[in-house]
Amino acid sequence: MSTPRTVSHTGHDDLVAVEFTVNGTTVSLKVPARMTLSDALRDNLGLTGTHIGCEHGVCGMCTILIDGDASRACLLFACQLDGAQITTVEGLGKPDDLHPLQESFGRHHGLQCGFCTPGFLMSSYDLLDHEPDIRREDLPEELSGVICRCTGYRNIIDAVDDVATNHRDGLPGPKNCGQRTLTGRSPVGSTAAADESTAASDTVQDSAPEKISMPSGEPTIAIDVTTLLESPPQDVARVFANIQLLARCLPGAELTEELGGNWYRGRARVALGPIKLSFNGFAHLLEHKSDRMHVLGQAKDTGGGRAQAEIHLLAVPEGTGTRLQAEARVYLVGRIAGFGRSLAGDVSRRMFEDFAKAVDQAARGEEPEVGSKPPSAFGILVGAMRDRIRSVRDLRRKAPGRQANNPHEER
Amino acid sequence: MKAAPFAYVRPGSVTEVLSELSRDGAKVIAGGQSLVPVLAMRLAQPTTLVDINAVEELHTLRTELSGVRLGAAVRQRTAQRDPAIAEVPLLGMALPWIGHREIRSRGTICGSLAHADPAAELPAVAICLEATLTIASPKGERTVDAVDFFTAAMTTTVQPEELITSVYFPRATETQGFGFAEIARRHGDFALAGVAIRVDAKDRMRPSARITCFGISDIPRVRDVSEQLSDALSKDGPDAPEARLRTALAAAAEELAADVVDTGGDDHGSQAYRRQLITALASRELARAYAKAVRASSHTDEEKA
Repeated sequence: MSTPRTVSHTGHDDLVAVEFTVNGTTVSLKVPARMTLSDALRDNLGLTGTHIGCEHGVCGMCTILIDGDASRACLLFACQLDGAQITTVEGLGKPDDLHPLQESFGRHHGLQCGFCTPGFLMSSYDLLDHEPDIRREDLPEELSGVICRCTGYRNIIDAVDDVATNHRDGLPGPKNCGQRTLTGRSPVGSTAAADESTAASDTVQDSAPEKISMPSGEPTIAIDVTTLLESPPQDVARVFANIQLLARCLPGAELTEELGGNWYRGRARVALGPIKLSFNGFAHLLEHKSDRMHVLGQAKDTGGGRAQAEIHLLAVPEGTGTRLQAEARVYLVGRIAGFGRSLAGDVSRRMFEDFAKAVDQAARGEEPEVGSKPPSAFGILVGAMRDRIRSVRDLRRKAPGRQANNPHEER
Repeated sequence: MKAAPFAYVRPGSVTEVLSELSRDGAKVIAGGQSLVPVLAMRLAQPTTLVDINAVEELHTLRTELSGVRLGAAVRQRTAQRDPAIAEVPLLGMALPWIGHREIRSRGTICGSLAHADPAAELPAVAICLEATLTIASPKGERTVDAVDFFTAAMTTTVQPEELITSVYFPRATETQGFGFAEIARRHGDFALAGVAIRVDAKDRMRPSARITCFGISDIPRVRDVSEQLSDALSKDGPDAPEARLRTALAAAAEELAADVVDTGGDDHGSQAYRRQLITALASRELARAYAKAVRASSHTDEEKA
């Protein structure tokens, strides 16, 4: 166990500095002494997987690992965790590479409403990690530190027992512990204690950053799309050369200032139904040629979210036209990361399609339509939804008899 | 709910802790597993929390000449894992009953003693084993026997400016056997009633036996039950089956329950129900502890022979 550093007397209105590691990322925070670890994880670091139920240590929703041992995050003040290694449910697995426990909970239907799931996952991780020989009949007692409101214990026991049986020789470690950007949520609706605190790390400056460093972990959205443009490469190259014009091709985006040295200040607006995001940030062109671009972007949403992106654009001749290829890694943190993953991906892909269309227009010497009416993502979302509806319909059509019963689908 | 604002300090030595405790309204926090819920419900609003986790020496757990000493910051789970716990079997038996693993990961042994919850396991164990607590104050150090330490529900002889620095549990001898059991609504919840037992079978027909009951009064209640155990043994002798001994102890256990259970009861169990629990647990665990003590001492006899 790590011994924390000493702290001299800190008044009850003052903040206490604390440094610990969460899922492999070192974090420095300044928090009110009375702020619980669960609140700090959720509000200051945006790790909302740790749930909060009773806030006095009875329900177990907030269970996390501290130096490998399961603990209640609501029964600890964040300032006490100096020097500790913390693992939250976010660190356990990745969406495409789940931890065996997560996989088993899904397979055995051990989730039900899902509210207690993070607590059960972390509690059972600790149990199987320390007692790989645990017998099934001992599981109910050993897992009694977490309460399931749906009373779905039977399936939870099945899920944990399954993993125990298959990993007597040792439980695989957490699969998603690596450097990443952690940023808090907006203080709206959070606790009084959260409002008083500040995250000392990773805040986006209002002045241009010296450099944009991308997180090394898995991106929130990975895009790799190719579109064929009618315009020949030399016309596309002209658009590439004109950054202002190129920016106008991006839906909802606007360049507000050229800062020199290939740095730009800009903003982008996205509206998805009731969700309205407005990003302000910077773009840095690492490579800018007539047929390729490498761009890093970093922006802060007014609601406290944060986005970082690395984009590679490539324009190569194909027939009489141009093949435009885009690869992007987008990292979303905070409120915006709460979007359904596939929805965020759909929107981003459609944005690129609109972007490609606009580049084609610009290459023909027309003013790109998309840039003239931000925020255009409203239309983008409708497009994405339309695509989804279409694919659902296509699936339904494959089912015989459906069509006749529902003539409205036939258009 | 959230704790009310408080000042915070994390000193690096006992001397500094004591000087911080001289402030009005200061309170020690070690594991916080009992204190933080109390703060969250704003039942307590200390002006300053003095966190003792940066004091290196309070984290020590060591075997001494005739027992085991646990520093004030030693966590319950750390103690459970330490090989030294084998020297104090009753402590090892009681620890798994404290809250849940998640609680024991942070909760400390001394913290539980200091909190002195009437339904808690460790105060009963400390009394049963005749543990001693070392308490530091600006005037120096004093030692208190566990039996004199608890004065009322959640009240001990520790003064606001004092700090418990360690607790000392005597090592078990080769002729001792132990028993521990409690009944709670769910494992890890506060006990409705529980017993901690120590039996010494050096003289098999006249063993010495000590029982501590908890969850049944404002402080753990300890009784010497050597005479009752000897009486029960007089019928069948030391090799009687456990079940028979248990039956023989039933009347004595019922009398004990009537004597020690003075709680008015609560929503989860009346006084009469708790008496029944103590009767059942005391007779069963006393019989078991005696059987263990006999087995342990016969092993020693064989080794000697």
